[in-house]
Amino acid sequence: MNFRTSSIVSAGAHVAFLGWCVLTFSGKPLDAAPQSIPVDVISAEQFSQITKGVEKAKPKETPKPLVEKKADEPKPAPEPVEKVVEKKPEIKPTSEPKPQPPAKEEKKPEKKVEEKKPDPIAEALKKEEKKPEPKKKEVVKEQPKFDASKIAALLDKRAPQRQASAGQELSNAPSLGTAQGSAKTLSQSEIDALRARLMSLWNPPVGIKNPEDYIIRVRIQLKRDGTVGAPPMVLTSGHGILFETARDSAVRAVFRGAPYTMLRPETYDLWKDIEVTFDPRDMFRG
Amino acid sequence: MVLIADMKTVIDLSSFNRRRVLLAGASLGAGLGFASLGGIRRAAAVLRLDVTQGNVQPMPVAITDFGPGSAGEAEMARNVSGIISANLKRCGLFAPIDPAAFIEKIVNSDAVPRFPDWRAINAQALVTGRLTRQGDGRLKAEFRLWDVFAGQQLAGQQYFTTPENWRRVAHIISDAIYERLTGEKGYFDSRIVFVDETGPKDRRVKRLAIMDQDSANLRYLTRGQDLVLTPRFNPSTQEITYMSYGQGDPRVLLLNIETGQSEVVGNFPGMTFAPRFSPDGQRVIMSLQQGGSSNLFVMDLRSRRTTRLTDTAAIDTSPSYSPNGQQICFESDRGGRQQIYVMGAGGGAAQRISFGEGSYSTPVWSPRGDFIAFTRQAGGKFGIGIMKPDGSGERVLTEGFHNEGPTFAPNGRVLMFFRDLGAGPSLYTIDVTGRNEQKVPTPSFASDPAWSPLLA
Repeated sequence: MNFRTSSIVSAGAHVAFLGWCVLTFSGKPLDAAPQSIPVDVISAEQFSQITKGVEKAKPKETPKPLVEKKADEPKPAPEPVEKVVEKKPEIKPTSEPKPQPPAKEEKKPEKKVEEKKPDPIAEALKKEEKKPEPKKKEVVKEQPKFDASKIAALLDKRAPQRQASAGQELSNAPSLGTAQGSAKTLSQSEIDALRARLMSLWNPPVGIKNPEDYIIRVRIQLKRDGTVGAPPMVLTSGHGILFETARDSAVRAVFRGAPYTMLRPETYDLWKDIEVTFDPRDMFRG
Repeated sequence: MVLIADMKTVIDLSSFNRRRVLLAGASLGAGLGFASLGGIRRAAAVLRLDVTQGNVQPMPVAITDFGPGSAGEAEMARNVSGIISANLKRCGLFAPIDPAAFIEKIVNSDAVPRFPDWRAINAQALVTGRLTRQGDGRLKAEFRLWDVFAGQQLAGQQYFTTPENWRRVAHIISDAIYERLTGEKGYFDSRIVFVDETGPKDRRVKRLAIMDQDSANLRYLTRGQDLVLTPRFNPSTQEITYMSYGQGDPRVLLLNIETGQSEVVGNFPGMTFAPRFSPDGQRVIMSLQQGGSSNLFVMDLRSRRTTRLTDTAAIDTSPSYSPNGQQICFESDRGGRQQIYVMGAGGGAAQRISFGEGSYSTPVWSPRGDFIAFTRQAGGKFGIGIMKPDGSGERVLTEGFHNEGPTFAPNGRVLMFFRDLGAGPSLYTIDVTGRNEQKVPTPSFASDPAWSPLLA
């Protein structure tokens, strides 16, 4: 009996253990919730364009030292503070080594009071007054100045939070050089609008038989107002009347599309020189 | 009709063409200069864009009245521009602009037009021209085609002809414009031969008739005593072959349009029908009925030697050569219903290419070689369609109570066929894309059209 009960207990325990194993170690499918993530496939060139920024923008100079120095030296205190002072004076009151001047002032009066009492204090006071004043003026000047590249920053209500969370050193995070910043880039909608305009105006010859022979590349130089500066240059060569017709249809579309008002003048540097490939393969595929 | 030798094309070497050459040279130089600059430029500075879809739509064209050399030619000159305008409009690829909208009045067709004036009315191409009578009585017609947006001349030619051929000059100019703007040969300088039908339904008189593709210059080739069917053009000469029910069995005949002479093709024991020329015009392929079956035969017109191409107990008929003369498409009921088959020009194994619903008949190979047009009968309807020579890409262009007998324009872009809505047949054209269906004006009922090759 003992043997029997023990064997039953053993068998039960084994069954229970095996059952637990089956339940626990059974392969669970990876919980990959199929979330569709909008992906924009862009070439390296496009990426560099998007992240390129604009030469004339001021912040271009400040960001580099900031980021580099932060990476090099773990002690960021003095330098970034100075730079921050240069850029955004609002921070100065808190970050500038203000404790020092008052200390000096305190010391100075002690020594100088004996010799000449009224002058140094007045001077120090004047200095104190003078220093903040010009800074305040700068502040007044810079803030109302409209800079198109800072539209995003102006619209961004989280600005103070970002400063706080990023710490003082990064409060002046460079806007240029990052894709998220207010760098002057051609938006996808601008490019799409340009493409849509050319599509609607491109009337390729209907007689195309081997469309791969009639892919026409055209280089366009645009003026700032969106008009075509010089006659479009056809980069593809070919022969035959059908090629001439295909070429003419591409050039005609470029001419008819002008002025390209969907392109903002601020981003002129990015679209003053455009190379368009008119590719009829999708249209004439059997 | 005798003008062909008289008509010549002169490539215009006036100041404009020299200017174009200079311009071309300048642009080439500029191109080289730019290319050398391009090496220095950073490639990343160029915004690259792919445009993979266009918008095929009728191109707005401004066709100005041709300037007459003297008051005598004023009306003729106006008519020439009218014919060009009508041709371009009918083909569906162009949208001639109403002359009332023109801002600039072209006085001298040699002068460079004011392009902004033409851009303002959205003209993409501009046609100017002049018609003058020469000292020897001949007519001189010249035209220039301008690209309004690029601001340059695209084409410029002059033609000499006898005054009675002024309509043909208009068609030839239309073809030149069509070719320069579409990249394809035109089809305006061509004719249509068809069966003209008059009289009550039970006693129809059927006569062979011929007219320009714009329905002008109609004349009759037969008197109507014999029943005529299926006229077909010789692709290289002004000769037609057709089938006639004269005395006895129906026979295939040859007819010279210029001389009016006709002759019977071959001397076969049975009934011959559905004739068609080979692309070089040297042979005629047709059906010969013997007993309950009909087979395909080809006859060499010079040696008069006939060769049998098929040998079946079925009905093989409606043969049509591919434009290179290497293959033949025909209809046959060897598989049960009528279907389209393709085989080598010398006969041999035939491959069925039609597999859709219903039965397929009257296959015609396009002069471009890219399509075979057919009549499809399915579900009590007759449709005109096209498919590729391998049977793929089948497309029905029009369908209805009765549509039949497609024939291709010389450039393969347009099909003509006849449609019978009950009272009697009429001719229609439709683009191979299935768009731009139009009725062809004829004096009475008309059937069995055949499009000629280009005359010039």
